[in-house]
Amino acid sequence: MNSSNTSVIICCAGMGTRLGIGSTKALVHLCGTPLIIRLLENLKDYDDIRIVVGYQADKVIKLVNEYRKDIMYVFNYDYESTGPAASMSKALVSVRENVIVLDGDLVVNPLDFRTFLNYQGECIPYSLKTSDEPITVRVEEEKVINFLDKDSEYEWPGMLKIKRENLSRGQGYIYEVLNPLLPFPTICLRTRSIDTQDDYDRTMKWIMNDFID
Amino acid sequence: MSNYIFLFDLDSTITRKEILPTISERIGKQQEMRDLTEATMRGEMPFKTSFLNRVRILESVAVSEVSDIVKDIPLNEHIAKFILENRDRCYVVTGNLDVWICKLMEKIGMLDHVYCSKAQVFEDKIGNVISVADKELIVKQFVQPIVSIGDGDNDSGMAKYADIAIGFGGVRDIAPSLLRNIDFAFYDDKKCADFLNTLL
Repeated sequence: MNSSNTSVIICCAGMGTRLGIGSTKALVHLCGTPLIIRLLENLKDYDDIRIVVGYQADKVIKLVNEYRKDIMYVFNYDYESTGPAASMSKALVSVRENVIVLDGDLVVNPLDFRTFLNYQGECIPYSLKTSDEPITVRVEEEKVINFLDKDSEYEWPGMLKIKRENLSRGQGYIYEVLNPLLPFPTICLRTRSIDTQDDYDRTMKWIMNDFID
Repeated sequence: MSNYIFLFDLDSTITRKEILPTISERIGKQQEMRDLTEATMRGEMPFKTSFLNRVRILESVAVSEVSDIVKDIPLNEHIAKFILENRDRCYVVTGNLDVWICKLMEKIGMLDHVYCSKAQVFEDKIGNVISVADKELIVKQFVQPIVSIGDGDNDSGMAKYADIAIGFGGVRDIAPSLLRNIDFAFYDDKKCADFLNTLL
């Protein structure tokens, strides 16, 4: 798995209403840098990047175009009635052999991002549970066993590395698409997802502390 | 291999410069042309009205001179290469006039693969515009599945009926109305052509 045989899909179509800022989360600035640009800074070696846009598509495109031009934009204007799996599915046209999927509201420790990109194999990473509304995961023996485990101390940060042939299309949540594949290899990453004001505040502190708890 | 037929807008999609404003520079009427072009791209004026007005601005220029300027207009290299390499499956759909674009169409192998507006010529000047191409009506005639590629408000009709609608913003911003009707957008000529190649 390397940058030349991998497509990267970043899902940024949603509204981010829980954060109460009236803009799509990819546009939210953290310590001066918008979330989507933070993600792209980790993906300089990748030349097939697909950003799924919907709400405020024009603003996301304008912002990203100032950073780099060689992006494929995928439109999901049904973002209010469909979930992230629908966004991801629309971006699967002519994807390469391997696919990386990333939530647009994700912040990843840069060293861990490198570990994820260099990991040779498929994986559904997990993180320590830190966000207010996590998609929890149960992890056993370096495998994700199931999603939405209430007792788990881990969450799925919305990242995925998978072979094209193992990825199905869907309309709801991406974890629902992944469920039939479990158990699935995993690695632990330091990440933050931003759904609420508290997530935002904690993540700001985390970034200022060099992405360390 | 797919059955897709590829329909390309001409201005700012195949060409790297806008055609009518480039011609208007020759006669010092670029501002007048720019205002009309911008209003059209924003969808503030029906394409037919705007196009006839724009032809009127340029009617004093010899048709042979215009077609020579258009022939030499710079192209988006990778998109033009895709068209040349896949002539059988590509068509140009443009509001521009047959008599102005014929030499350029010949250059990219599209002379018999173009749907466009038509005009009569008298003594090397535009006499009458006979018809103004309606892209939506044109795309509806196709039987094979369609991939459309364009950038302007008047490409929206084409995009609505295409199986895959692509916006190309490498020369100018994609018109807001078109942004609402496309599946994918590219702002880089090579990236767009690379994707088209995966659809063959």
